[in-house]
Amino acid sequence: MITKKISIIAGFCAAAFTLASCSDDFLEVTNPTGEPLNEYYTDDQHLSESLTSAYAPLHWPDWDGSAYNDLTCDAEILGDDFWVGGSSISDNQHWHKLFNFEGDGNNTLGTLWGDFYSGIKRCNDVIQYCSWGGGTETNRRSYEMQARLLRVYYYSILWHYYGNVPFYLENLSSPYTATQLTADEIYNNLLPELEEIIASNVLPMRWTAAESGRVSQAMAYMLYAEMVMYQNDSARYPQALTYMKQIIGDSNYSLNPDFTDLWSENGEWCSESIFEINYDDDNAQRDWGTPLHAGGTVFPTLCSPNTWPGGEGWDTGMDGWGFLPMRLETYNMYADNDKRREATCWDVRGYTYTERYQDTHIWHGKYRPQTANCQDCPSSKNLNYNNNKRIYRYAETLLNAAELLLQTGGSASEAASYVNEVRARAGLDALNGVTIDDILNERHLEFCGEGKRYFDLVRAEGISGATEKASVKLVPDTYGYRTNSWTASKKHIPLSQSELDADPTLVQNNY
Amino acid sequence: MSLALIVSMVTRAQGILGTVTDDLGEPVIGASVVEKGNPQNGTITDIDGQFTLNVNEGTPIIISYIGYLTQEVKASSNMTVVMKEDAQTLQDVVVIGYGVQKKSVVTASIAKVSAEDLEGKTRLRADDALKGMAAGVNVTSSSGQPGSQSMIRVRGTGTINDTNPLYIIDGMPADQYGLESVNPNDIESIEVLKDAASGAIYGSRAANGVILVTTKKGKMGKAQINYNFSYGWQTAWKHREVTGATDYAILQNEKYINGGQAPLYADPYNLTDANGNAIKGFGTDWQELLFNDNAPIVQHDVSVSGASEKVNYYLSMGYYTQDGIVGGNYGKSNYDRLTIRSNNNFNIIDATKERNFLNKLDVSANLSYMRVHSTGVDANSTWGSPLGSALYLAPTLPVTLTGSIAEDMINQYAAYDLYRDENGDPYTIPGFIGSYQEQNNPIALMQQRPSQGWSHKFMPKFAIDLQLWDNLKYHFTWSAEQSFWGSESATTEKFYFSGNNNSDHTQASSEKANSTSWQIENTLTYDKEFGKHSIGVVLGQSALKYKGSYVGASHWNLINVNKPYVDYTTGGSVQTTTDAEGHIIGVTSLVSGWAGPYVEHHLASLFGRLSYNYDEKYMLQATIRRDGSSRFGSNNKYGVFPSVSVGWNIMNEKFMESTRDWLTNLKFRASWGKNGNENIGDFRYTVLTTSGGTSNYYFGRQASMVYGSKANGLANEDLKWEESEQTDLGLDFGFWNNKLTFTVDYYIKKTNGMLMTMPIPSYVGETKPIGNVGDMENSGIEFELGYKFNISDAHFSIKGNASYLKNKLKNLGNDTGFLNYGISQFSDGGTRAENAEPFPFFYGYKTAGVLQNTAQAAEYNAKYGSNSNPGDLIFVDMNGDGKITSDDRTKIGKPTPDWTYGLNFDADWKGFDLNVFFQGVYGADIFDATWRQDIASGNYPTWVLDRWTGEGTSNKLPLLKLGDSKNWVCSDIYIQDGSYLRLKNISLGYTLPRNLTKKAYIERLRVYVRAENLFTWTKYWGFDPEIGSSSTSMGVDYGVYPQARTWTIGFNLSL
Repeated sequence: MITKKISIIAGFCAAAFTLASCSDDFLEVTNPTGEPLNEYYTDDQHLSESLTSAYAPLHWPDWDGSAYNDLTCDAEILGDDFWVGGSSISDNQHWHKLFNFEGDGNNTLGTLWGDFYSGIKRCNDVIQYCSWGGGTETNRRSYEMQARLLRVYYYSILWHYYGNVPFYLENLSSPYTATQLTADEIYNNLLPELEEIIASNVLPMRWTAAESGRVSQAMAYMLYAEMVMYQNDSARYPQALTYMKQIIGDSNYSLNPDFTDLWSENGEWCSESIFEINYDDDNAQRDWGTPLHAGGTVFPTLCSPNTWPGGEGWDTGMDGWGFLPMRLETYNMYADNDKRREATCWDVRGYTYTERYQDTHIWHGKYRPQTANCQDCPSSKNLNYNNNKRIYRYAETLLNAAELLLQTGGSASEAASYVNEVRARAGLDALNGVTIDDILNERHLEFCGEGKRYFDLVRAEGISGATEKASVKLVPDTYGYRTNSWTASKKHIPLSQSELDADPTLVQNNY
Repeated sequence: MSLALIVSMVTRAQGILGTVTDDLGEPVIGASVVEKGNPQNGTITDIDGQFTLNVNEGTPIIISYIGYLTQEVKASSNMTVVMKEDAQTLQDVVVIGYGVQKKSVVTASIAKVSAEDLEGKTRLRADDALKGMAAGVNVTSSSGQPGSQSMIRVRGTGTINDTNPLYIIDGMPADQYGLESVNPNDIESIEVLKDAASGAIYGSRAANGVILVTTKKGKMGKAQINYNFSYGWQTAWKHREVTGATDYAILQNEKYINGGQAPLYADPYNLTDANGNAIKGFGTDWQELLFNDNAPIVQHDVSVSGASEKVNYYLSMGYYTQDGIVGGNYGKSNYDRLTIRSNNNFNIIDATKERNFLNKLDVSANLSYMRVHSTGVDANSTWGSPLGSALYLAPTLPVTLTGSIAEDMINQYAAYDLYRDENGDPYTIPGFIGSYQEQNNPIALMQQRPSQGWSHKFMPKFAIDLQLWDNLKYHFTWSAEQSFWGSESATTEKFYFSGNNNSDHTQASSEKANSTSWQIENTLTYDKEFGKHSIGVVLGQSALKYKGSYVGASHWNLINVNKPYVDYTTGGSVQTTTDAEGHIIGVTSLVSGWAGPYVEHHLASLFGRLSYNYDEKYMLQATIRRDGSSRFGSNNKYGVFPSVSVGWNIMNEKFMESTRDWLTNLKFRASWGKNGNENIGDFRYTVLTTSGGTSNYYFGRQASMVYGSKANGLANEDLKWEESEQTDLGLDFGFWNNKLTFTVDYYIKKTNGMLMTMPIPSYVGETKPIGNVGDMENSGIEFELGYKFNISDAHFSIKGNASYLKNKLKNLGNDTGFLNYGISQFSDGGTRAENAEPFPFFYGYKTAGVLQNTAQAAEYNAKYGSNSNPGDLIFVDMNGDGKITSDDRTKIGKPTPDWTYGLNFDADWKGFDLNVFFQGVYGADIFDATWRQDIASGNYPTWVLDRWTGEGTSNKLPLLKLGDSKNWVCSDIYIQDGSYLRLKNISLGYTLPRNLTKKAYIERLRVYVRAENLFTWTKYWGFDPEIGSSSTSMGVDYGVYPQARTWTIGFNLSL
């Protein structure tokens, strides 16, 4: 009896042994939240998703979890319209160092590099997925072309700041390094690519309202003009002028009648807008722990006074960090009747708050914080203002066209008429004729605080007849803040030490 | 009831009556008593230790019982036999994984910590119990926060990846959370398999050592009931020295003046705070306010155990609760744990006397349960943690604001409900008064409702042991770990602490997760002696599966802040804002939820072990295990892990006979083996899609979020486990009948194919892939020494261990041979991995003093082309290129100690017992990263007072200067000696005389007083030299939550 029982148990155990023995099936597990790439990127929907992810890095630089490298701040601290500010000279120290032209491998725009190379990598992926032939041809062509144009844009920012950067159009595999090209080589690679994109004519001049945010043919034209003019590449001026005139001739684009309204939520993607980086507070997923998620921007928080007592549409208790105080001289450069002053300069002389470093009581008006602009975000409000970052607008098309006309010996009166269109909106009298300096000055007034001034000053070095240029304007100030002068070697900021460490073949810029 | 059965079985009518006791006079139940030469005539002792045997007086009888020396005595009427413990069999068995082995024939390097070793020491957590107890096992407390896990390293840092050992609790693999569930009072022994030969039986998971935890069983005899109680008071053993109000003001003024700005304080000796009150003395002592002195720690343990021939049981319940020394008094750093264990083994059939096949069947069913409640504060962080903030907030800053400035602050933050003290004064928001970045008012932080974490863990086990034939045994186990954990948190006020720590709405959230691991194992073992040959074979199979899932939700706007539940919130899932004309212009989601499965982990294995010894003189053991893991791609699904070890008991040789009167034991051991580490995360070999998160973007004038997707990384299909190969040589000595024992081991352990994130530039634009690229080498010597002696009635025992470790990164696997890991706030150095150096080490500039005057500065500048001024640091031109550049950065220290040691001293005399336990490390450095210089208003550690203020004032620290990016870079000025010696434990106990307690039916009553961390000798100026942060930030002090100094009283009661 007992023996029988024990035999049954032994039999049961033997069965358990067999059942539990290993098999390959047992070792296969599936990932609950991911699909193989070659199975997934085979239809319009999924290709479109990959393209969306290629746009995402556009919104990262203002706060990417490591550093604040907002595109406006990065450019304006190098220029002559703003101070750096912040709580002290050690707050966001890399800006203070770059402001005084004494950056180094540890005090540079390190993370901007990483953010936009992520963009480049994602664009390369989209282009590869499209080459697999999934989805409809029309959509696929559009996705591919958007990715190519976006990729040129990402490279152009790196090219502006760093000049000599690693360049690749297909994603890297082992040993994961790319050749560093000189700034001129980068330019010579990007321009033909840009010309090919434009020639393909795949992208619309303007996207529908629901698709606003995508790169368009007009955006390609603006990027083309910007790069050509920054390179002082006169051979391409006629082509750039043609592109500007195409935008001017397009009924989709015109100046927004009211300059102040341009900077409101209503002014986003108005008829004047050619390209913006989209931020929003509605359903923002961005928070301090998820900086790369879609949401609003921290820029209005960065560039606003600390301990604001409330008023001007910005409630008490809202957070301001005191970066980018506007120079008094910048306020004063506007004529009293220039309507742009009120929108550009947020004059809070008369308000009392805790002053931070280099405070002037005049702040960046175009992106000044408004409680209404962040109140809908479900997470940290100071990180989620809905202000889109304006990159290209029609006013620049006009001023580009005017400048290119002068450079190519075109009609001077036509050039003046473009400038006067911009001036008229500002409430200023028309000029009879314009010089290069007039145009640069108009750009200064029109685009103050939009990250264009510094690059205008640098390229003016290569424009004959221009007096508003870097070597003249970017010199020690009377306040003792900037003690060093800009020189040609400062055109390209230092590469990050960490990247030089990771890829020893990289050559540091001679800053 | 089982006991009653036994009693009825052994009752006999007539014969010789006798009693069997142990040397304490306790009855020995179940001892076998047989007539010599007539095995049929036998019996066993009953519950009182009595037996009746039908023999004549003077007949030799044999009395035997497991764990005692077998005795042969002549039968006499009413005889009493006193059994002596067989010290050899009791102590000299070690658990080796799928079996036990006599210590005398062990050929591998295994450290054992027994329940006796832990007697008299604080035993709150199983991981802490190992601290200082075994050579080669380095246990570092990660923080003093209640419930925080210790960092355990077996023979050094074996890899730059997960370097935690494998924990096996009664045969079931567990992680450190599993280990937490074991009440240390339930532990019978902990064995640490240190070398590869012993670990190889656990194959692909053993590369970082294996820790085997065996829980208690009942002991033959009557039921034992134990109750232990202790109550302790914990206090921070030291505060960090920071400057008081006047020194702070002086330093601030100096910093601003040197930085070209106006001084902040007109008269540092006559300061007024923001409320307009004169500041007296130190000012606000934030640490004093924050630290919770005399925080209680209470422990209760009760266990009942016993055994008979048929049944063996051990039942226990433990409860332990601890308040933290930071925040424990506010319910912010608290921990309580309830554990229940039931170990039961039943002998179902025993027919060993009748036949030699299918003759014995044992079944055991065990269950353990743990429940934990915990809250915690952010620790070891310079980004606004309570302790971190307490270090940076100025002593001039008042805790609360009063009067008009309070009104101003309230108006400023009108949208928020500011926390107030008992007088109704709002707690100061540091950012309102000065520039403190993310720092918070730590006292205000304490007012906030804590997030409550909880967990339940069940660990059932069912096992069958069947004797198949002769000595061939079959063993089956099914064991599992079922865990449930979660947290409840709520924002019950619209709080404001700092710019990035505030909320303008209330909210409740709740999260739950569960996981199940099960393991089935079948093993066959065969042990047999043929003359002087002894062999043992183990063959087995194992399959393991882990799976789990999580779910959580949150919702805004509580209806009643005292009922902060997700479903009790003002309805609706969205909130809309409208413009003047009533058009919706904004939408906010008020509710969110998340749920999903965790990635499963499967492991399928086969293993075998052969042990052989000849006359206990020559030993050989060989092991092999084949593991298949779901964590690897099809290229590398399976791994095979072999090992072999040999031993030679030199003492058992004839030629050693002459020395036996003083040399009792001499054994030589040698082993080699290969182990793996599969703890590398899931799906790392392939690239899949990932959606949402960082792929989303807004499109459209109305900005609607569009979901994106992308590749989740860069692939490496050839990814496989890390492999470590280890050779161990050991010698065991025993002198004077093992009164003095000495063991020495030398090992060299090489980790090959170490998995790491490939150190490629970030311009690849994606999360960097991992590869089997690195090699690491650890080598070392370990010593263990034991000495026991008696002086009349007093017994003394000394146990010491020391280990020397040399860690070297052989090959990082990238082109450059190095990789930098940052230390927050330093961009130009930190920790670093580099070939041929220990991993990790501190990397930065070497300094050679401070430039004292303009002449010296001019000379320095001329030499190095720099523009330094007096008061600036002199950096050493390490590469001799005549320039001070980033290429001059070098090794400035290392966090891993050269020596780790423990010394344990026990004494007892007439009921008194004393335990003194020291533990320490030597040759470790600490990088003090606690001072955030970017916080303009921040307070200073007092060592900053030694800064340079003029010629001859300091030749170590530079001048203070606002916006200085030249001097306070990552350099050796932050490196401190991290060596320490700690009086970890000292306890004095007294056991009341038994004849006294017996009257109250008490077997044993011991009362004791104990102190933990009573003294620490260290040069380190921070909170605690013990900083157990994980691999790359090892030894970096961000303001660690210090260990408490604890005074405890308690008693142990046995019935």
